[in-house]
Amino acid sequence: MATIDPITLATIWHAMQTHCKEMRHGIDRTAQNYLMAQLHDISVGIWDAAGRTIAMPVGLPVQFLGTAFAIRDLLKKFGNDFAPGDVILTNDPYHGGNNCHLPDWGFFRPVFYKGKLMFFTLARGHQEDTGGSYPGGYFPNGFDIHAEGICIPPVKLIKAGVENQELMEVIWNNVRWPEGVKQDNYSMIAATKKCEQRLIALLDKYGEETVMACLDEMISRTEQAVRAEIRKIPDGVYCGEAATDDDGTELDVPVWVRCEATVKGDEMTLDFSKSDAQRKGFINSVYAATYGNAIAAAILTFDPSIADYHNEGSMKPIHVIAPEGLVVNAQYPCTVGASPVAVGIQVMEAVLEALSKARPERAMAAWAKHRGHYVFGIDPRTRERYVQTSFDYDGSGGGVAGYDGYQGISALTSMGAVTRGNVEEMEIRIPWRMLKYEFAPDLMGAGKWRGGPGVHWEAINEGLEGDIATGSSDGDEVLGFGAIGGQTCPPCRTYIRRGEQEIRVKPHRLVHIEPKDTIVKLSSGGGGVGRPEERDPEMVRRDARNGLISIQSAREIYKVAINPVSFDIDFEQTKELRSKTAPKWTDLGKENF
Amino acid sequence: MKRVCIDVGGTFTDCLVMTEAGELHAFKTPSTPTAPATGFLNSLEKAARFFNQSLKALLADVDISVHGTTLATNTLITGRGAKTAMITTKGFRDLVEIRRGIKDERVSLYNFFIPPYEPLAPRYLRYGVEERTLYTGEVTAPLNENELDEIISQLKKEQIESVAICFLHSYANPQNEKRAAELCSQKLDGAYVSTSHAILPVWGEFERFSATLIDAYVGRIVSGYFNSLEKQLRESGLGGRLLIMLTNGLMQTVDYSARSAVYLIGSGPAAAPSGALYLGDLTGHKDLITIDMGGTSFDVCVIRDREIPTTTERWEGDHRLAIKMVDVHSAGAGGGSIAWIDALGLLRVGPQSAGAEPGPACYGKGGTEPTVTDADLLLGYLPADYFLGGEIMLNEELARAAVEKVGKPLRMGAKEAAEAIFTTINTVMANSITDVSTKRGFDVRDFVLVAGGGAGPVHAVFIAEHLDIPTVLIPSYSAVFSAFGMQAMDIGRDYARTYVSRVDRVDIDRVNRLYDEMEREAKKDVESMGFPTTDIVLSRTAEMRYTRQFHQVESEIPLGELSQKDVTTIVDGFHKRHEELYNFSMPWRGVEFITFRLKATVPRAAITLMKIKSGSQNASAALKRKRTCRLSGRDVEVPVYDGARLLSGNVIQGPAIIEEPATTVVIPERYVTRVDDYKNYLVHRQ
Repeated sequence: MATIDPITLATIWHAMQTHCKEMRHGIDRTAQNYLMAQLHDISVGIWDAAGRTIAMPVGLPVQFLGTAFAIRDLLKKFGNDFAPGDVILTNDPYHGGNNCHLPDWGFFRPVFYKGKLMFFTLARGHQEDTGGSYPGGYFPNGFDIHAEGICIPPVKLIKAGVENQELMEVIWNNVRWPEGVKQDNYSMIAATKKCEQRLIALLDKYGEETVMACLDEMISRTEQAVRAEIRKIPDGVYCGEAATDDDGTELDVPVWVRCEATVKGDEMTLDFSKSDAQRKGFINSVYAATYGNAIAAAILTFDPSIADYHNEGSMKPIHVIAPEGLVVNAQYPCTVGASPVAVGIQVMEAVLEALSKARPERAMAAWAKHRGHYVFGIDPRTRERYVQTSFDYDGSGGGVAGYDGYQGISALTSMGAVTRGNVEEMEIRIPWRMLKYEFAPDLMGAGKWRGGPGVHWEAINEGLEGDIATGSSDGDEVLGFGAIGGQTCPPCRTYIRRGEQEIRVKPHRLVHIEPKDTIVKLSSGGGGVGRPEERDPEMVRRDARNGLISIQSAREIYKVAINPVSFDIDFEQTKELRSKTAPKWTDLGKENF
Repeated sequence: MKRVCIDVGGTFTDCLVMTEAGELHAFKTPSTPTAPATGFLNSLEKAARFFNQSLKALLADVDISVHGTTLATNTLITGRGAKTAMITTKGFRDLVEIRRGIKDERVSLYNFFIPPYEPLAPRYLRYGVEERTLYTGEVTAPLNENELDEIISQLKKEQIESVAICFLHSYANPQNEKRAAELCSQKLDGAYVSTSHAILPVWGEFERFSATLIDAYVGRIVSGYFNSLEKQLRESGLGGRLLIMLTNGLMQTVDYSARSAVYLIGSGPAAAPSGALYLGDLTGHKDLITIDMGGTSFDVCVIRDREIPTTTERWEGDHRLAIKMVDVHSAGAGGGSIAWIDALGLLRVGPQSAGAEPGPACYGKGGTEPTVTDADLLLGYLPADYFLGGEIMLNEELARAAVEKVGKPLRMGAKEAAEAIFTTINTVMANSITDVSTKRGFDVRDFVLVAGGGAGPVHAVFIAEHLDIPTVLIPSYSAVFSAFGMQAMDIGRDYARTYVSRVDRVDIDRVNRLYDEMEREAKKDVESMGFPTTDIVLSRTAEMRYTRQFHQVESEIPLGELSQKDVTTIVDGFHKRHEELYNFSMPWRGVEFITFRLKATVPRAAITLMKIKSGSQNASAALKRKRTCRLSGRDVEVPVYDGARLLSGNVIQGPAIIEEPATTVVIPERYVTRVDDYKNYLVHRQ
């Protein structure tokens, strides 16, 4: 065993993180599809030859935290048949792909050193198209997974550096906008190559023995730290639940995800056995995707000072149970299109709700639901078909114990790794003109720490007729939770405004749009943490001044009286308002609320 | 006539005077943050004393002064900017707060416990006004002046000091923004008014608006400072031109800079790469990494094939700053960086710094946290009695007590802990270099490391060793490195016009018209700076991308009237550049022009660096004393040389230390240093 000094340990550890970030940066700069290049719907990481997670600094949990399952299946399928220069592509949730849904294509590259398989690196990202009934991959009513697009089992797209041209032709022939998809595929392949170069250089510099010893050490230290965090949670069983509005096929019937978190000593079990059965509609999640979201949610409740270190060691003390055939462990040929949003978000929410009860000092509320939609139409300027989506319509983050929700951040399952587009960029790219894109007052969960604000978004169709799918959205009916007395996220709404008419469009629907139709979205913000009447009156005053909450909400929900002209707090009245509802309330102006 | 470059930093003001003969003389005086113009004049007075002149006589003898300042950066970082409002297109007032939903990339993905973003203009001071322009430049709704009037009366009531005017698609047609600015300037007496089309005339509203808001936020203070500085300088007798060093590596008149304050963010560090380039030319090196290690920050810039890189990707704290800047990457590492133990028991150093107050523990000004300077002292690298030429006495006992705070939990003695701190901070700096170079795909081992800043020469060779860089160049002006860069750079400005077009459909006449317009503007500007237009050197680039990509690659554009044939050459150059940067290119894919850029420069005056006397390889005449240093875990008796007595041609074998008045050079074992004619130290690995 090589002896390792603290400096080498830190250097090697940070190098692994840097290489991942560099992969993402390369894709970010060179890809052409809006979701990857602009909105960062990409994930990258490094695993060792046995599938242990080495580095996972950035990505969407559903896309990469469960990658160990995919690597173990790759090893099963290919055995020793890996060579330097191989690139394996898969987008299949089944058949050993362990992928969340078809649009997220993953490029794996085995990394060899001196003839020995050392690592796998992965770049996975949301493609512009993956075939199937409708563009975008969020088609609510597929007969089975094959209706959702091309299913690529783990195959060698590149074999020892030689491209399999015929395979590529088959794949690209099965997607819309093949030139664009091809460009993005090369961008991702180039990124994994860069990571391979970096890993080999690292092994050259420090030697295999030292590098592996350092990684073992970091995994073991992280495991100890995570176990120490779990020990801080009182032993017990904590429950959380969340639902998506429906499965897009059986309409208006919510689908529930339920989590029982059992904490015992330094281990935690997240058991989803009481969740609903898998559905015909596209909201089903495969085990690897459920695992990724559940692990991510648990990690979020730990001390942020270990946030930079998570790896295999973080996962060892956490067990995820999801029996086959449930909505959290869907079986072939079940549809899975919406699973990164629904029930992906619900898996995270159920875990967070349970653990917020377990550890109030680390409580966090639900984030705003994803309010995505896909528009397919024809751009009269070019007469070309286009598909459009973004995260612009989303609300904000949920409150956490200590801070209000983060503004503008999109959907819990993205964990803030995705970004929004620019209005100007969108108006240039597609035939829509934006009318409004602002915070919506009072559209967030109130709390001692309130949710980040909701968003009011409107755009008018200046193109021809087309269709809109609201598959990647949720939150009209079932609301995100508030924690330890905080309020839930308010309901969201989407309308099509056609002349005088306002036509409501629920999530998971597919509707027709006409020229000059306006899409109106009122997306709620995040949920609150702690009772609103315990919020610092000065923060309530600031929110009222900023028009984020109304004077009426300040009074009725937060129990703070604010002068509507001067925005001064009426302390006498506030004291009285609060004395009625909050027995803890003692002394205004002090820091104890 | 003399040329003076003055770089006002947080702690010191560096003044570098170039005489008629092209000789350089450096002066360092304390900065006066509360009245920066005073520190500026103090440094000039020190220079005047050196030349045996009155300040008035010196100033009368100066034809160009170039000035870099940290004022804008500090105003932003410390949150001491103006009370700022924003007027924007109705329905879009929260774009600068939604910020594209970005969570600070420096915060781990797995950490949600972060405070919400605080925009520079709070929501209640952001107003929407009816107006609309499309990306084609068509105005579909003219500015509603009645609404604007109402907003202006609100602004008066709120006693607003600065206003940012940010309308959608104003880069395509600034008509509405211009009118709004006109009305605001007329009716808001004394307010600083900033418009997005003037600050950053390119598409992408979040980035444009954010830069404009930063401009408004720092603008009032910066313009106030410039006006009072210029007044004081004129009163003191300055007759020549005063130019301001901008963050894009170019210079501007005081008048222009006072209206575009955002270009002052990072103004000083932006000059350093030009100094490195000059020295690279002098010593025959084209690929350079410049580092500048001060008290709190470590600035890195990678120069490849003589090209100073620029970026539009910068964040300043929580604020996005998309203006074109010299790509100087800053990390929280410096002499004041504090060592600590993290949650997993690893030693970490920085980014927190003890700053100038209280400063490192060894300064004896009340600091008790262990800093890099404390470690450097305990290791024997820094002279306790000759720090800044003896201006500050260092206390070893205080340093030891501080360093033991991290030594104990690591079960290390003070010296071992000091060495661990030293190595850790070097690793942080080395990683910061790797970060900048690897993102461009360069191998750091192919570069010469040029070390500036007070603390730079102590650490530079160790950083080089860590990164396997064979050669380190420590310039004679390393302690006033940014001011040296200002002397060594061309005076210039840049211009940009957005015209989005597929290369195969580009209207080449329109491109020619854009360049014509920009070149005429450039000539006018150069004249207004007092240079003959015959001296102008122009260069052109375009930001280009593959069809539907979102980021651009800057490619060269030939000068003169462009024809269809030139497009082919330009596109070939683009493919090559893409391959260089990202490992692949796609000749089968369509290519687009996005923004056309022009840079106009006036070549700098020739510098004659003063030669020192030459001597033999034997440096023993400059030997000052011996000191025990800790090197690679061992205590070694190390010869200490007096920098002032070294001669050209002297060769010093490591381990050795060279003491200069403003810095200390540490040469570890296995490295050898040669002194050149201009007293630059060239350190090579053996």
